[in-house]
Amino acid sequence: MSRTRLSEPAYGILLVLPMFVIVVGILFLPTAYTIGLSLSNFSFIKGAARSFVGLANYFAMFADEEFRSSLINSVFFTGVTVVLELLFGLVLAVILNRKFVMPGLLRATVLFPWALPTALNAIIWRWLFNPDFGLFNSILVTLGFSATKINWLGEIPLSMFSMMTVAIWKTSSFMALILLTGLQTIPADLYEAAEIDGAGFWYRLRRITLPLLTPSILLALLFRSMDAFRAFELPFALTQGGPAGSTQTLSLFGYRQFFQFLKFDTGSAVSVIQFILIMALGALYLRVFRTEAD
Amino acid sequence: MTDLTTSRTLKGTGWTVLKYLFVLFLVVLFFFPIAWIFLTSIKTTGDIYAWPPTYLPHHPTLKNYEAVLFGSKLGRYILNSIIVSSLSTISVLFFSSLAGYSIARIHFRGRGFLLIFFLAMSMFPQLSIVPSLFIWFRKLGLINNYLGIVIAYTGLFSPISLWILSTYFRTIPLEIEESAKLDGCGRLRTLWRIMLPLSIPGVIAASLIVFIQTWNEFFLALVLLSQNLLRTATVGIALYPGQYSFPWELITTATFLAIIPIFALSAIFQKQIIGGLTAGAVK
Amino acid sequence: MKGRTILLGLAAMVLAAGFTFASGSSESQKSVSIQFAISPREVGKVIPDFINGFEQTNPGIKVDWLQVPGVPNEQHTMYVTDLASQSDKPDVIAVDVIWPGEFIANGWAAPLNDYFTTADVSKYLPGMMNSVSVDGKIYGIPLYTNAIHLFYRKDLLDKYGLAVPKTWEELQSEAKTIVAKEGNPDLVGYISMWAQIEGLFMNYLQFMWGAGGQFFDSGGKVTVNTPAARKALTTMVNMIKDKTAPQSITTYKPNDAMALFRQGRAVFMVVQDFVWPMLNASDSPVAGKVGMTRVPYFAGNSSANTVCMGGWILIVNPYSKNKAAAAKFIKYITTEQAGLKMAVDTGSMPALNGMQNNQTLLEQYPIAKQLYADFAVGDVRPSARAGAKYPELSHEMQLEIHSALVGEKSPEKALADAQANIAKLLGQ
Repeated sequence: MSRTRLSEPAYGILLVLPMFVIVVGILFLPTAYTIGLSLSNFSFIKGAARSFVGLANYFAMFADEEFRSSLINSVFFTGVTVVLELLFGLVLAVILNRKFVMPGLLRATVLFPWALPTALNAIIWRWLFNPDFGLFNSILVTLGFSATKINWLGEIPLSMFSMMTVAIWKTSSFMALILLTGLQTIPADLYEAAEIDGAGFWYRLRRITLPLLTPSILLALLFRSMDAFRAFELPFALTQGGPAGSTQTLSLFGYRQFFQFLKFDTGSAVSVIQFILIMALGALYLRVFRTEAD
Repeated sequence: MTDLTTSRTLKGTGWTVLKYLFVLFLVVLFFFPIAWIFLTSIKTTGDIYAWPPTYLPHHPTLKNYEAVLFGSKLGRYILNSIIVSSLSTISVLFFSSLAGYSIARIHFRGRGFLLIFFLAMSMFPQLSIVPSLFIWFRKLGLINNYLGIVIAYTGLFSPISLWILSTYFRTIPLEIEESAKLDGCGRLRTLWRIMLPLSIPGVIAASLIVFIQTWNEFFLALVLLSQNLLRTATVGIALYPGQYSFPWELITTATFLAIIPIFALSAIFQKQIIGGLTAGAVK
Repeated sequence: MKGRTILLGLAAMVLAAGFTFASGSSESQKSVSIQFAISPREVGKVIPDFINGFEQTNPGIKVDWLQVPGVPNEQHTMYVTDLASQSDKPDVIAVDVIWPGEFIANGWAAPLNDYFTTADVSKYLPGMMNSVSVDGKIYGIPLYTNAIHLFYRKDLLDKYGLAVPKTWEELQSEAKTIVAKEGNPDLVGYISMWAQIEGLFMNYLQFMWGAGGQFFDSGGKVTVNTPAARKALTTMVNMIKDKTAPQSITTYKPNDAMALFRQGRAVFMVVQDFVWPMLNASDSPVAGKVGMTRVPYFAGNSSANTVCMGGWILIVNPYSKNKAAAAKFIKYITTEQAGLKMAVDTGSMPALNGMQNNQTLLEQYPIAKQLYADFAVGDVRPSARAGAKYPELSHEMQLEIHSALVGEKSPEKALADAQANIAKLLGQ
């Protein structure tokens, strides 16, 4: 059959175009529009005047005590959970990096927390943490500490630590998977050579494992910290941001601005602030990545 | 000689026992929440709210399952999830396989940039896109509509599918493509007949990961599918508690039911999913 | 070839199935059609009967029930975005009693004076009508109501010869006495719904009113940092501190408190009265041992009103094309007959005056006598005054009150911050 063939590069671009259009339409343009909204006094009321207000919304947000504390909560939450998830994930990966029994069961077990919807997981843990009928306090009573009915989700700062526990439980195994793959790319003879030279476990860990694992670690850290900073459904379903807003993350605060108070102008400012911070985080990691790669 | 062998076998047995114990430990650690949810779901309300606490049900009952399956909208929610996730997965596969093939195999300027571009896009926080999408989709009548959410999910999850697929595409030897070209196969035919079938593990991995992630997605589903009859399972259950109450007997039952499909998928296709998830990590 | 066809066929089928299910409700094109938005949660059981009955007596009008989610916040978002974009549907909307203030201020509720005469309006509870009356016009009709009450263990009070407490001081001392004498480590004195929810604000208001405080002064200025208010909040905080109330009370929604009380683990409970049937159900461990009365006041404030009412109001969409039909429907489902059916079938009390004299109701719910005596004098939250800012005002109050309860801020600081923030919010 004869038909005019598109040149190679043109064809390539043609194939990518549909996805490009959709991604730009769903991710890029809305974000740009949000930036625009954040600089205006948008309101849903038909016919309401919409005008440019500069950085007024941003000033309003930074002056808001609740916004500031949500920001701090997000930073605190991200910092602690990511570090601990990395730690536990690393330990788990190192242990699993051997021939193990029942690999099928192991894989399914390690994969399960990842497959759980975050919101439903939060609900499950909310039930576990229930102060009067939950599993944890029930166990405490059975073990004889009946005076101690711990208010897991109703005290400051305990509720934040409870929320972090849920996040760490859910994501450590995923971290382990990523790190395990990284571990498996390390040539075994490096270890053998080190063993022959008499190197101990810690030495091998510090001098071989960690350096060669650094790219995987950085990648895992990158994705995980971006996710943690965006945490929404966990506080939404677990604590609704309580008690007294102590577990309210930036995303939850933003959500309230948009969908509880219908304030799309200040809410957009919150979105943009979060966006800038996440992109900055990404850029930071890329910087570190590049220096490591050299 | 004998002593050494015995001690080595003992040490071997010791290690094996430890390994089994560790597997047991992991299983308990990662499955106890869902086990507790299951136990709660077969208890009577009296048992659930009993004090001192009961661990095992005194009279296991299926009453909660009846109430949830026949008296609530859970069936509808799960149907919605199935429809939304299936349609989204197909859509994502379509767009990302075209793009993935192009990026993996066709030489054009900017293909490296595009890959990074898509990856960067996927990191945009939902909070940045949800409000704008809400405003636009309302005008376009795409709220409370399967089409709207499928389009949104396509944009959201194509990048990760692209990443997985292009990694698998790259592993296919060039010669196979060359011979296809010689046989007169056009680009699209090559993709359909050769690339995809040879990357079945990748396609399966991408499909499963996208399916599971769309099933679990919360923020967009919360906002774009606000009508009760259209809620997905994850959102529907999370919103089930009203302003006054948290009917735990129903919520635990519904949660358990909603998790079964996901659990089944991840258990059966564990290798493929893990392969897909770590494909990017290995790079 | 075959594989491909099969796959394409499957995809086509899934797509087709998907789009046939695409939208929610179907429209009927006969004469006048009005859409009624209400959640199936509380009174869903009687809605189909109401609709059938109405359609039969009004053959030219069809009513379509839009079942909205049970979470008020979700409904709120839906309605506000619809009304703000001037959608003509739904025609009749059931709104939480605290929304009319916001809706009226934004022009999102149609005035109903043309459809309801003064005589008509006098049938409804005045407290509820407070939330929908602005400048002599009324913008809604209440459908059902509830109020926060004090529930107590009759058997425990009788055991120790204690009277039903009328003041907070009495309640606290009785609670302490009973708990000490019972010696049961699982028994607490007082529980309520003190999670960071709307109910917390309602409960706080009752404490504040009981101390003689008001949320707005006569000039309309917010007065949330008065000695009465401080007394109220300090009392609440101290109840946790001296263990009259368990620390976990800060996570309780009404049902959490009810579940505990039902297990016999509390002496006093303050929640909405919808829990009454559940407490007296045949499988309830405390059936027959529970009494209900008004929430106490502080000593020296016996004339204070401590009944805080909630409930749901029916409004007419100002952009509706069928306002007359909508008003007719509202009238139909708020008659005494309809209200009785609603009470008997769902336990939700109609917002009508004089129901305490309805013998059929009293047979089913002897407690209705007490309830309606309380409803007649009850008041609602200050939503009408706050207008469009009520959601933020309530959120701010919940936040500050909760901060004090969990010990994050002192009651004085919490109320000072609340005063400052709310004054700023309202532009005062």
